[in-house]
Amino acid sequence: MRYAVSHLTTVTYAEAIRMAQFAVRLRPAHWPGQSVTDYVFSVEPQPATIVEGEGGYYINEYKFELRDPIGQLSVESRFHVDRQPLSEDVTGASGPKLAELRELAMTRPDLSPLSPASYIFASTIARPEREIAEWAGQFLSDATPVVEAGSRLMGAIHSEFAYDGDATHPDTSPLEAFEKRRGVCQDFAHVMIVAARAHGIPAGYVSGYLRTLPPPGRERLVGADAMHAWACLWCGDELGWIGFDPTNDMLADVDHIFIGMGRDYSDVAPIDGRFRGSAEQSMYFSVDVAPLD
Amino acid sequence: MVSEPRTKASAALGNWLDDYSAPAGVGDLYRDAPEPVRQRWRAIASGLAAISDNDPSALQDLAARHIAELGLTFRVTGEDEERAWPLTPIPVTIGATEWEGIEKGLIQRARLLEELAADIYGPQRLVNEGHLPAAVIAGSAYFARKMLGRGPESGHFIHVYAADLARGPQGGWRVLKDRVRLATGIGYALENRLAMVRSTDTLPSDNHVRRKAEFYARLREGIAADCTREQPRIALLTPGRFNQTYAEQAHLARYLGLPLVEGRDLSVLEDKLYVGTIAGPKRIDALWRWVNTNALDPLSFDARSQLGVANLFDAWVAGGLEVVNWPGVEVLESPAFSAFLPRLCSFLLGERPLLPTVATWWCGQAAEAATVQRRLGELALLPAFDEPVEMLPSAAPVAGRSFEGEARAALVEAIGRRPMDYCGQEIVHLSTTPTVVDGRVVARPFTVRVFVARGADGTWSVMPGGFARISMSDDLPTSLIGEGDVSADVWVVDEEAPASPPPGLLTQEPPITRGTGILASQAADNLYWFGRYNERAELTVRIVRSILGSSMEVDSGFAQKGDAKRALGDLLVMWGAITPDTAKRPYPVLCGKALSEDTLPGGVTTLLRRRMDVGLGLRERFSRDFWRIVSRPTDVVEIHLPQNLLSRAKRLTEHFSALAGLVSENMVRGPAWCFLGIGKRIERALGTCRIVAQLIEQDGGFDALGTLLDLCDSQIIYRARYLTGPMRNPAIDLVVLDPSNPRSLAFQLCALVEELAALPTIREDGLPEEPLRQARTLSAALEEVRAASVDGAFLHSIEQRLLALSEEISGRYFLQFERDEAIGRSLLG
Repeated sequence: MRYAVSHLTTVTYAEAIRMAQFAVRLRPAHWPGQSVTDYVFSVEPQPATIVEGEGGYYINEYKFELRDPIGQLSVESRFHVDRQPLSEDVTGASGPKLAELRELAMTRPDLSPLSPASYIFASTIARPEREIAEWAGQFLSDATPVVEAGSRLMGAIHSEFAYDGDATHPDTSPLEAFEKRRGVCQDFAHVMIVAARAHGIPAGYVSGYLRTLPPPGRERLVGADAMHAWACLWCGDELGWIGFDPTNDMLADVDHIFIGMGRDYSDVAPIDGRFRGSAEQSMYFSVDVAPLD
Repeated sequence: MVSEPRTKASAALGNWLDDYSAPAGVGDLYRDAPEPVRQRWRAIASGLAAISDNDPSALQDLAARHIAELGLTFRVTGEDEERAWPLTPIPVTIGATEWEGIEKGLIQRARLLEELAADIYGPQRLVNEGHLPAAVIAGSAYFARKMLGRGPESGHFIHVYAADLARGPQGGWRVLKDRVRLATGIGYALENRLAMVRSTDTLPSDNHVRRKAEFYARLREGIAADCTREQPRIALLTPGRFNQTYAEQAHLARYLGLPLVEGRDLSVLEDKLYVGTIAGPKRIDALWRWVNTNALDPLSFDARSQLGVANLFDAWVAGGLEVVNWPGVEVLESPAFSAFLPRLCSFLLGERPLLPTVATWWCGQAAEAATVQRRLGELALLPAFDEPVEMLPSAAPVAGRSFEGEARAALVEAIGRRPMDYCGQEIVHLSTTPTVVDGRVVARPFTVRVFVARGADGTWSVMPGGFARISMSDDLPTSLIGEGDVSADVWVVDEEAPASPPPGLLTQEPPITRGTGILASQAADNLYWFGRYNERAELTVRIVRSILGSSMEVDSGFAQKGDAKRALGDLLVMWGAITPDTAKRPYPVLCGKALSEDTLPGGVTTLLRRRMDVGLGLRERFSRDFWRIVSRPTDVVEIHLPQNLLSRAKRLTEHFSALAGLVSENMVRGPAWCFLGIGKRIERALGTCRIVAQLIEQDGGFDALGTLLDLCDSQIIYRARYLTGPMRNPAIDLVVLDPSNPRSLAFQLCALVEELAALPTIREDGLPEEPLRQARTLSAALEEVRAASVDGAFLHSIEQRLLALSEEISGRYFLQFERDEAIGRSLLG
């Protein structure tokens, strides 16, 4: 499946800001089954400096600086992507049992950005929560194969949690979303990560896009899509990382476009910035995931 | 019960230790010491007995008094008030031979930690070759993946290293914990020594106690040596005045002469770090950070942190910024790591560890996990990476046997699911040291924190001493005493006096300078507001005194008439010192309220609290005497009796006079002094405008003018000049227009012009800075007018221009705060 993705963000400041420094994490990193071409990143007004690099985890990062006062900032990221469907090796696999998986994760001599050891411990947002661990415990045992474990957690979140854009906000903790049994993709991914890690499964937070289908009989609305988030679980040396989307109760497949992975949202946040001036601002964004085939 | 009088006969020197008994088998620092060290102990004890008249409680009080005089405090997380630092007066005394063993062991350990950091953030041979599990590194919340391959130019990851040591019953020392993140205590070790020297005079030198001062000098020189510029500017980066150990950081910065900066004082431009000062941005060459790696740069690490500096990462990566210790080294201090240290020492250094580590098992390995489960009853359990985990809510070790029944089952289950989160640790029995408890000298278990630093030649040296923590209870003489209750100075004693007096701190004479260092914009802002709050509080107290009719006994009639009092009450309402309802109540109530008011913005108690808030951020700039007066608690009591109110108001007036005296007599005339003065002048000028406007509105009242002169401290001069009672124009001339009267509006403006003119300029065109220009215009405006034309409208316009001047000063010299961009999840589905 091929898509043209474009993502435009425009921020308007109540008063001009100056010495603005940003980090933007929107350029997709390499990922199996996905190839990106024609990547374009642009910022308006023209920054004084712009540097492309890598974030701490598996994510690309543009850092730029605007020294002169600005009243508005536009950031655009666009690319073409070819997304292959998951192979049957993955969809039919079950992976090692949890007891074995833990041992594998602990002994693998690997500190790379995709190493299991880097995703098995608590992180800034995904703190250990006994309540979530116990809840997850009803679906898992040391003998559960990891893919099965991921599917059960994903299914449980999907059936027990309600999608509700008003119930949570960007800083809501996984525990609060868990207690409310409500939230959006970010909350669901975080709950899934905390639950998986509680049982020793390395789990990462994926930032990306999802192709959305218009309601039957309606035209696809341009720019009405959104960013999306899901969880990746490390399923042993052979299977590697597999994406589980608890919002939609499905494995990440042809509809999921991968940008990057970190331990939680904070490692892959699309935009962080610092500047001098009043923080009052309004933001407009438009995401369009247009199928090309 | 009647206590027996202490007989002087029993005050024979050294008797404190004659009666001293330590429990058998624990190993005591005095009892089991070799004879020469025992003799030192006895000499020290008799010296302490002599200065305290043989009363251990008196000695305790003496130490406490010196601590209070040094202004030494600490803050417990979650508490508003700072607490006095607990120092117990009997030093933990260690002989030179025993200390030498510790020293060698620590230096070896510092070398090892340095090698480890270099490998982890460099080639990663240890992980790749299987000597160290990747998870032991990845498990640390401080592992900074972005730092991989980004070592310091100097090649020195570590400059300062601290360790907690335990002494066992056989006298062997062991490392309980390594600290490379924060050398917390390094300042308290200095202050403890200072307090001890003040309390005991020559006792330390008489007993050949090694000095600590050289250590601090070496530390500073070591940092300077790794900077690229010749005369580097080294700053101490603090998390801010609400941090637990801010007082320590401030003392340290002052002692070492380092500017104390917060993240918001700093900015990175083209990969260089600058501190915003009143004289423009100044480059910083090295940061001694008291901030975790994760919080150093919101764009590279934790975006939510307000403590760091955006793009600081780029500055140290580009070179030209030394960071102490290098970001990411914190990864070395987790308990899981210490489980591997003995093996790594042999592997990396090819040496056996000289100083053993407390035996630790990391459950991330199957065999070790089995050992811990089997020996749960005899071991301590602790989180493997210093962060709370299930069943262990803090980083402190907990005895395994304290988990019983359901708790034990839950712990075992949690370890089963996440073994990598847990460590088991041997429980070390501690030896004891003599200390004062309830006026008696008794044996108590202790641990010692020691410090190691790199000098200018790159070699390590150990602070001779450090500081000890002593448990006040003797229930659990093991390494589980945790934080300990009180601290003690540690004295390392030589048998012979050093051959020559110890060399001074610096061998080379520095070039003469009269500068006072940089003044960060943030500090200037605080000084300015300190001056303003202080003056505002003083003015409010003056008004209260005037209402009470007190400032001069013979003049007490001045303010007695109702109209003037009502006018003053209105003034208090206008200033937000009392509510309009309170203004209608009897005068003693009204005055009591104004003094004790702590929620309205103009209440004296509120103002003193605000002054304290900004003052905390200035602590390292003020003398100890000044700080002691500022922080002296004010009694917040509801007082209604007029005579009590009066004495309270008088004491406050004396408080302000004492501060003013210290500022005028003891403070170096530099920009800091100017900003304190500017704040005071602006506030006094504003207050004078308001008071005069308020009082001349009272139609021709004799009382009103008398009160005006009273408030402006100008009665005597008025009487010297005029034979009549107070009359409008002469009074106005004196308090508004006469530049020779230090309480007049004109005087404040002249002083403002002088102080603003003394500040550094950053203009290249030679024109005056805008605040100075405005102050001059304002001052000239007063010179032009005559008393008869000074009316409410004129005063109001002056007031508005003063406020505009204040804005101008703030825009030119102070920071505009950096704020976070909040781009939320509205982007997300």
